[in-house]
Amino acid sequence: MKRKGFIFYLRIYCKILAQDLKSKMSYRADFIISTIGMIFTNISGFVSFWILFRNFPSINGWSYYEMLFLYGFSLVSLTPVQCFFDNNWSLRQNVYSGDFIKYCFRPINMFFYYQSEVFDIKGLGQLAFGIGTLIYSWAKIGLAFTPLMLLKMIVFLLTASLIMIALQNAAAATCFWIQNSFYVLDLAFRFRDYAKYPVTIFSPIFRFIFTFVMPIAFIAYYPSLVILRPHEIPLLSWLSPVIGILFFWASYKIWMHGAMKYSGTGS
Amino acid sequence: MSEIIKIKNVIKEFKVLNRREGLKGSLKDLFSRDYKIVRAVDNISMNIEQGEIVGYLGPNGAGKSTTIKMMTGVLEPTSGEILVDGNIPYQNRTKNAQKIGVVFGQRSQLWWALPLVESFKLLKDIYQIPDAEYDGMLKLYQSLVDIGPLLHKAVRQMSLGQRTLSDILAAFLHNPKIVFLDEPTIGLDVSMKAKIRTLIHALNKEKKTTVILTTHDMGDVDALCQRIVIIDKGKMLYDNDIEHLKGFFGSYRTLKIRVEGDLKAQADIIRREVPDFSVSADDEWISVLVDEDKNKVIDVLGLLQKTHKIRDMQLEEISTEEVIKKIYEEGVQ
Amino acid sequence: MKLKKYLTLTRAGIIEALQFRLSFLVMVVGNMLYLIVVYFLWKAIYASAGTDVVNGMTFTDTLIYLVLATALFNFMEMYTVWEIGRNIQSGKIVLDLLKPMEYRKYLFWSYSGSFVTQFFLTFLPTFIAVAFVTHGAIHMGLNLLYFVISVVLAVSINYSIDFLVGTICLYTESIWGINIMKQVIVLLLSGATIPLAFFPEPLKTIVGYLPFQSIYNAPLSILLDSAPQPHTLLVTLGTQLLWCVVMIILSKLFWKASLKQITVNGG
Repeated sequence: MKRKGFIFYLRIYCKILAQDLKSKMSYRADFIISTIGMIFTNISGFVSFWILFRNFPSINGWSYYEMLFLYGFSLVSLTPVQCFFDNNWSLRQNVYSGDFIKYCFRPINMFFYYQSEVFDIKGLGQLAFGIGTLIYSWAKIGLAFTPLMLLKMIVFLLTASLIMIALQNAAAATCFWIQNSFYVLDLAFRFRDYAKYPVTIFSPIFRFIFTFVMPIAFIAYYPSLVILRPHEIPLLSWLSPVIGILFFWASYKIWMHGAMKYSGTGS
Repeated sequence: MSEIIKIKNVIKEFKVLNRREGLKGSLKDLFSRDYKIVRAVDNISMNIEQGEIVGYLGPNGAGKSTTIKMMTGVLEPTSGEILVDGNIPYQNRTKNAQKIGVVFGQRSQLWWALPLVESFKLLKDIYQIPDAEYDGMLKLYQSLVDIGPLLHKAVRQMSLGQRTLSDILAAFLHNPKIVFLDEPTIGLDVSMKAKIRTLIHALNKEKKTTVILTTHDMGDVDALCQRIVIIDKGKMLYDNDIEHLKGFFGSYRTLKIRVEGDLKAQADIIRREVPDFSVSADDEWISVLVDEDKNKVIDVLGLLQKTHKIRDMQLEEISTEEVIKKIYEEGVQ
Repeated sequence: MKLKKYLTLTRAGIIEALQFRLSFLVMVVGNMLYLIVVYFLWKAIYASAGTDVVNGMTFTDTLIYLVLATALFNFMEMYTVWEIGRNIQSGKIVLDLLKPMEYRKYLFWSYSGSFVTQFFLTFLPTFIAVAFVTHGAIHMGLNLLYFVISVVLAVSINYSIDFLVGTICLYTESIWGINIMKQVIVLLLSGATIPLAFFPEPLKTIVGYLPFQSIYNAPLSILLDSAPQPHTLLVTLGTQLLWCVVMIILSKLFWKASLKQITVNGG
């Protein structure tokens, strides 16, 4: 048996993805309705944002466009979880009905095998919205544009995206221990709505919680500081890639621990 | 011949929640919980040779699935030893997975939206099957069943029979040493059952694959298994070949009769007339199980003739179905 | 007795919900955290506004409004669209249709058990917590009675809308898309995410003509109004009643018509 490395998994993922997209084309109506739903979600997000901050010139020292930048940043960094890890939402049903057992019999990584089954194409709409918002607010704030900044942006977006993936993995994995775990996942999902606000609005206790316990501040706030406030970047911003990777690794371990514990239903 | 599966004194226990009844009980459960230990598998030992087809039988809840889950590495035994081709399954789940194939009757493991051939190609990559071996396997499949029409059909569009067939083919694809089949013929029609039995038999002969089969359909057992293992309430009741088992019931004969009227309804009447005998009915015959040490077949026939108009009759050895039924009900002495 | 068969479903629902004690803990803790985020966000917004009253609402008003809107959401969310959609896809709907009870009613009463548990476990604690935190800013008088009446109407309107949208699942497999569109529209236009008082004028007028504002905005405005004019009260409750009747009729008709079409087509 050959060693199964990164290339092995990448190849399998690409093959599944290609097949999956092909078969999605046969569900055109579903695709269109879901896409419209996604667009609705994003438009409604914008409308809420606009209604709220239209009334106020700045919040806690953050201007309207800076807030918009944070919003765009959160949209983009929340895309990977939507695209690649959407199968987490079905984990509960799979575990509950006993269908999850089929993931236990393949000689490949279970986490990979499970997540590879679903690629959610709707997330791409969100990505487009997010990038549009980022460019618009970038221009309005009058930030310079250099290749170095672009590189920073990409690195920080990618690592920030790991946080939400980690939160969702951990939340989804709770179904291995508690039965009605939908609420946990739903809760994690709702929290991402608050990722777009500067963490400075909270009192110190909750600033600590949202930084270290439920690290939603790393989804947009800390990494954005690198671009938005280049003269006063706190250490935590520079640490955010490390923290992203750390949380992802921890959530992966939790997920796998639950999966290994799983034994199916029935006799 | 070599031993491919070794199971020694295996015990598996589960912690089960005792739920209280009613609204009050549910409220109580909220605050204090009461667990009990249930022994699902109780001291089971067996050795299985390479190339055998073993029927693993037992009533619902007997502990069959638990044993299979332990052999596939999904569950860790509470105590005892399991070796599958030299590996401890639970500790090397991925390594074990490479050597086994698993089919669950009503749960497809294939990619739901993909055509079968694409599922096969993915499996080829996942199990790292060499090209030549893969092509050879497809050729073998083509010679055994007509898979042409199935290959380009998405699994979700298949009938249950086609899906089961596909799942079995997929399980054998990487030429595993052992294949576990959990009720592969459940819910299928007669001709599909026959097709699947022939396929399993052929693959076992061709590839020397060990097959562990759990089923409630004795037709599967008659068609495939030389050896059967029976467990009930977690304990092993029997492990030997079928003929040997039938020897225990050598004095039993099955009297098959055909009478006027609806057979199922008539069987109910007969059951009331001769309550000491096991009576069953299918579409063609009413079967009455007679222990010749206690009653003469001819006497039973005479008794029945008084109240029923018998059109036709046959006398047979005890069937596997009835043997198993008797064991579930009474155990082996 | 007719009522008895409905109450049996309620009882079964309560027993079912009580099986999952960990999920309760998660739900209560989750709601508390969510409320904390709302609290700090709006505190920052009001601090930045510089005035105590924005769009006719004080910080306390807004807080009570939003916190109770979330509590009401948890209370009213029945996942009806998902339930209907899944029942249709799995074919379970055929069994439900055979029950000696109208499907619309069956579904409602099957869920009514969680109304009871949700009321005691999330709504009431939240209500008490808010009343406590805001130092009795909620007027405890006749307005509570009007509020209860208004919530009953709101539950009915919300359920009718859900059922109406759920019926669409007879035509398409895209449950996710349908549900997200409904959710986004209802939450935004009902004033559940942002009080309608904050909406810009033309949008406010349009929303006033739609049924959604009767779900969250109506009961919450009644609750916050310590000295209601009989006229305003009558208009609010009257509008709710009107929408309640209209939506019941619409959802019933649509269900009947759809079912007929489906049975004719044998789908």
